[in-house]
Amino acid sequence: MKRSELMQQGRQWIRSPFARALLALICIAILGVIFNADGAFYKWSTHRDMFRQISVFGILACGLTVVIIAGGIDLSVGSLVGLNAVLFSMLTIHCGWPAAAAIAACLLAGTAAGVSSGGLVAKFRLQPFIATLAMMVFARGLAKWISGGQKVSSAVQQADGAYSYVETPAIFNALNARIWHDNVAVVSVVFLVCLAVTALILARLRWGRYVYAIGGNEEAARLSGVPVKATQLLAYGLCGLFSAVAGLCQAAQELQGDPEAGVSYELTAIAIVVMGGTSLAGGRGGVGLTLLGALTIGYLEKILSINAVGEAARLMLTGTIIVVAVIFQKGAKR
Amino acid sequence: MKMILVVLMSAFLTTGALAQKSFTIGMSQCNLGEPWRVQMNADIKKSAAAHPELKLIYKDAQNDTLKQRAQIEEFVAAGVDLLIVSPKEAVPLTPPVAAAFKKGIPVIVLDRRLVGDQFTCFIGADNRRIGRAAGRWIVEKLHGTGQVVELKGLMTSTPGQDRNAGFRESIKETGIKVVFEADMKWLEPDARKEMESALARFPDIKLVYAHNDPGAHGAWLAAKAAGREKDILFVGIDGLPQEGRTYVKQGILAASFEYPTGGREAIDAALSILNGKPPAKEITLKSKAFTPENIEKGGEELP
Repeated sequence: MKRSELMQQGRQWIRSPFARALLALICIAILGVIFNADGAFYKWSTHRDMFRQISVFGILACGLTVVIIAGGIDLSVGSLVGLNAVLFSMLTIHCGWPAAAAIAACLLAGTAAGVSSGGLVAKFRLQPFIATLAMMVFARGLAKWISGGQKVSSAVQQADGAYSYVETPAIFNALNARIWHDNVAVVSVVFLVCLAVTALILARLRWGRYVYAIGGNEEAARLSGVPVKATQLLAYGLCGLFSAVAGLCQAAQELQGDPEAGVSYELTAIAIVVMGGTSLAGGRGGVGLTLLGALTIGYLEKILSINAVGEAARLMLTGTIIVVAVIFQKGAKR
Repeated sequence: MKMILVVLMSAFLTTGALAQKSFTIGMSQCNLGEPWRVQMNADIKKSAAAHPELKLIYKDAQNDTLKQRAQIEEFVAAGVDLLIVSPKEAVPLTPPVAAAFKKGIPVIVLDRRLVGDQFTCFIGADNRRIGRAAGRWIVEKLHGTGQVVELKGLMTSTPGQDRNAGFRESIKETGIKVVFEADMKWLEPDARKEMESALARFPDIKLVYAHNDPGAHGAWLAAKAAGREKDILFVGIDGLPQEGRTYVKQGILAASFEYPTGGREAIDAALSILNGKPPAKEITLKSKAFTPENIEKGGEELP
């Protein structure tokens, strides 16, 4: 009796989205063991670097998880990475702002952009796809405009066209460094903090429950007294805030603000959320799944990279594996 | 009364003739999303500033072939005196340029080629030659032996193919071995990613040859994070003042090979065309090598 109960529980667990996402990750890891590129896959630095590389995408995916659970989508996150990378670099390198003030300004700008998209969705009833597509185009244009289309780096152009050179602000090196005996990149810690914050909001706060409620059935949520508009504003605002955080991390890792940074990052971030098992239809999912999705995509890219697989094959393989993983997720019982 | 009219008319005509002295030039840029192309426009602007009779109108096709086609047609409809086109791709943009040329508008084609000869003048640099020069320099620097990483731009683009082919020609039958090669799509974050993989696999990399300077810089960032930047030399291409030349000055790159924009030469050619002295049909731009030794002197011209 006890044994069959256990089996029953095990069978149920195997069919949960979490187990499916974990299995996908394990399958990818096995691929890494098979194609270990002369043992490169077994080095700690490979895993550490993989986690650093996926961090910016992971931070974006945290915000997207909330928006997607709320039944929306945010296409502007990649452009906001570029915008905030440029803004942060201009404020710190060109204007000489202290790091704390520049960070605060960027976080504010990102949140404002997110709230604007949210406002278009909540107040003007625009489709999230359209509202955030508009923000995606607008923010990219703004990034190009304020930077004059050039990368913002420690080479500063003077009025006469000549270049002078300034020190890279300490905050860039601080964010680009590694801590804990060189074992974890700072940007990865930032990613983990974003994950924890999102998990806390979704699981512990009343607002987190509202997010699930409006994503599951907006009308029912409204009728049962959920403040739909405020919840949507907050969801998009949080997504914008995380995009700004990702923009800071991107700038720090490049030691410059590139107005082209983050192009198509929104697609990778959405793929991470969906591969984790969060439903694009809204109302179901979680940020733990997003972590698994991020690791899966991160390892996939890393394995293709250490094996020096050509670009064309990489794109085809990535596309195939995303489809397989999502089909696998569809079989999950919620 | 009639007299006054005639005087007025002739006055208008003379001012009209004087105004004819100024020329409108349409500049069709295929994509201002790339710093190199921003630099090209800046170079054109800077050269044209010395000639107040030139009035330039810039259009950016945002990497869209059909948009560029429309913009060329707009310039023709507006009746510009000369067209400068830096085309996104050859085949689809040949007909609109040829149409403009047949209408009698002189056309200067910058950087990328078109099909046939329906234009006034082509100005461009030779990527293969630059790749060869970089290869020769690398062979000499490494005394003909050592492990090298090649970070390729995009092997589906001609600059990527040529920078690869020229380099491979020069290192053929030497002890230089490319142990790791990957597409970094001209992007710095991708170059850093690929370089991290190369570092994980090969403990004895001597040099990184990247198809552009941001790629070389990304590789340097990866090596620095691994504490190996002192053991490896980094070589890039493009030599823009705010990128490659800056990195050479900062001691990050061992060399950057200039890929000239041709902006200045385009204005020179435009002036001679407008003054009735057409230049050579094809102008190949000279390139420079920038190294820490020669950067203060403004680089060294390649043979």
